[in-house]
Amino acid sequence: MIKVLYFARIAELTGTRQEQIPLPASHTSTAFLALLRERHPALADVKNLKMAINQDHAAANATLRAGDEVALFEPVTGG
Amino acid sequence: MLIYLQSEDFDAAAMTAALRARAGSAAGAIATFTGYVRDHSAEIGTRSLFLEHYPGMCESVLRRIVDEATSRWRVIDVALAHRFGELAQGEQIVFVAVASAHRADAFAACEYIMDALKTRAPFWKRETLADGQAYWVQARESDQARADAWQAPTADGAEAPGTASTQTESAGQPVGKEQA
Repeated sequence: MIKVLYFARIAELTGTRQEQIPLPASHTSTAFLALLRERHPALADVKNLKMAINQDHAAANATLRAGDEVALFEPVTGG
Repeated sequence: MLIYLQSEDFDAAAMTAALRARAGSAAGAIATFTGYVRDHSAEIGTRSLFLEHYPGMCESVLRRIVDEATSRWRVIDVALAHRFGELAQGEQIVFVAVASAHRADAFAACEYIMDALKTRAPFWKRETLADGQAYWVQARESDQARADAWQAPTADGAEAPGTASTQTESAGQPVGKEQA
């Protein structure tokens, strides 16, 4: 399973802040993101969707492992 | 390093004093930066700001950014505070203080930490206007350009966007002109 966290506007669009999703056959972050977009059609309008894996900003096509924590959010706006 | 991630306000003067005490007599310079909740919408006015954050990742990203600054410049110690939750117009959001032997390292490291924090630390601002409208603040390209400028090597070997002779337009603006 993958623990998926949603933050800020992404949490509003998906209607949830956290869910558990089985790791798909393809272990790439790109495939996982496609699966999440399919699961949450409201994400279709989000142009700049960022991903963190295990609390670290993820590279373009990272590899996921069972038990990973994945977070989805828009570009950060702190400071 | 001293890192505080908290909902309550912080005392910038007390943090500067604590940093100075830790850094000792070798610290000939302390550069500080404080960011405040500003009016994003001049016409309607900002009533309040809510700062959402990613607990755990925030702390690790902030630590890494301070480590990067410490390895890149001659830094003695760093104090950093960032708030989350509900903030009113005019309140403090973020504070960075860098102790160094000399001002050049203190200024550069302080600016680097802020530029990196703005583009990497997982915080998101939701603004509520005086008329009740609320929206998530969008990231600005100029912030990304500033952060990227620290990664780009320049012809003369200078590294700081604020001091390099080949500075880009966005990176050359004084930080004080913008909101933290």
